[in-house]
Amino acid sequence: MRLKHSLFTRRQFLNGLLGGWLGGLAGLFLYPVLKFIFPPEREPEQVLLPLADYGSLEAGAIKNFAWGSKPGMLKKTAGGELLALVGVCTHLDCNVAYLPDKKKFFCACHEGWYDENGINIGGPPPKPLRRLAVTTEGENLVIRPEGAA
Amino acid sequence: MNIKGAARETWTWLDDRLGVQAVMDFLKHKPIPRNRHTPWMYTGSLVLVFFGIQVLTGIMLAFYYRPTLEEANKSVGEIMTKVPLGWIIRSVHSWSATIMIAIVFIHLLGIWVLKSYRKPREMTWMSGVLLLVFTLGFGFTGYLLPWDALSLAATKVGTDIPRSIPLIGAWGTRFLRGGEDISGDTLSRFFSFHVCVLPLCLLAALALHVYLIQKLGMSLPVGADEEAETRRAIPFWPNFVYREAIVWLVFIGALITLAVFLPPTLGKAADLMAPAPEGIKPEWYFLFLFQTLKIFPAKILFITGDTVAVLLILLAAALFFFLPLIDNKPAGRKGKIITACAFLLVIFAVVMSVWSLQTPSKPEADKIVAAPQNIKESTAIFIFLGWIWLSVAVLTYLLRLKIKETDRLLDVGYFSSERR
Repeated sequence: MRLKHSLFTRRQFLNGLLGGWLGGLAGLFLYPVLKFIFPPEREPEQVLLPLADYGSLEAGAIKNFAWGSKPGMLKKTAGGELLALVGVCTHLDCNVAYLPDKKKFFCACHEGWYDENGINIGGPPPKPLRRLAVTTEGENLVIRPEGAA
Repeated sequence: MNIKGAARETWTWLDDRLGVQAVMDFLKHKPIPRNRHTPWMYTGSLVLVFFGIQVLTGIMLAFYYRPTLEEANKSVGEIMTKVPLGWIIRSVHSWSATIMIAIVFIHLLGIWVLKSYRKPREMTWMSGVLLLVFTLGFGFTGYLLPWDALSLAATKVGTDIPRSIPLIGAWGTRFLRGGEDISGDTLSRFFSFHVCVLPLCLLAALALHVYLIQKLGMSLPVGADEEAETRRAIPFWPNFVYREAIVWLVFIGALITLAVFLPPTLGKAADLMAPAPEGIKPEWYFLFLFQTLKIFPAKILFITGDTVAVLLILLAAALFFFLPLIDNKPAGRKGKIITACAFLLVIFAVVMSVWSLQTPSKPEADKIVAAPQNIKESTAIFIFLGWIWLSVAVLTYLLRLKIKETDRLLDVGYFSSERR
């Protein structure tokens, strides 16, 4: 079927084009604004811990380091392995504490519990504490995000 | 119910409570004179557009700026080098300030020469002078915030000027500085002035200014034929707004282009013990005051030269504020002397500014120069600029069509038929 008349007037077309283009331009301006407001994550690519300070950890002991602006925790397991964790509760982002007498990580905000390997065992935390990869390179222990080369 | 019906119903619901339609009806019937002086009338709303840009970019910069002695300069440096597109946002804020002040001066000159301040618009003028003072206050306080050698020297001089006023002067200096000398407290104070005190003051004065303009309507040039002007006038909405929108778009395009190609630099952090850098100058809009202060001798008779200069400037400011009461002639008379004063003032300001520029300023070493961080960013910026200018061209074309359309509707009396 062919329509004899246009479905909208010249005026509607012009208004739509003008409004649409103005809206598009506003959207274009929104992009740099959002770019500015949300800067990219600044997670460290790696953190170097001198072996002189961190190498002589006893089994079961814990030493803190800074993982960017989050607390990192280096722990030597009973088996002698080095375990690096991000000491931030997976429930709602509170920093956790290690309780040596109980051999557990504890989050005071909502009473979350993790075992000595950082596995969630009680309370609201949905996931284990985040693990970081530990390698030894020369004089340093190198901490990297897990999975990074 | 279809979407259109729902939208109409929501609109009716809102309008019943907010009364938007009453405002729109008012604007539809607000006449804007159409004569050879009409271009002056674009300047007011243009200032408002740039003020809006200042508010938005200012809020964004305050997200990353830290107003402390140790961190101020560093955080501005980080905005320019680390925060994504931070250098452009800072550049837009700086350029928009400059353009805003320039248009404020043009706006003022227009009102002055056209004698639009005459009865009954005296208070519109006075609230406008307050707006000018607050605007210059924004420029002055904002200049310190990057905390480099230039801003420190400018603030030292600027906050010392009140001291020359007899009796209350020393108190004024202490109020501005938060102590006898410039310190971290001055910086906090200036930040507070810049982002809290001045915005509130300016919004209050602006509300009065805009209210009065709506209440009293646009002024007609001296000696105009009122009946002919009424016949020729166009309504503010939509005929005039479409015309203004073209000017806004062109200026916004120019602003962003300037901001991309000529970003402001940042000097090293200010050292409170270091000597003032050679050949320093304030921002261009303070140059004429700066040069005026410079040419006064140390002593005039038995009074310090500074005191004479500052008192003269204060007297000039008072005359300026009360201009509508001084020139209280009936609106029909031309007031040639007043016009001559305006031009003399402009000539004085230009001569003084050019004179002060004769002293060469030494370029500072080790300053941060902003630039795109990589080829990807610069390409994106150029494409962005291209799009903006394309949009300006297309939108100008469309707006011109709308102007023709609404003017035709006006001519056939379409708008007047809905007049209630």
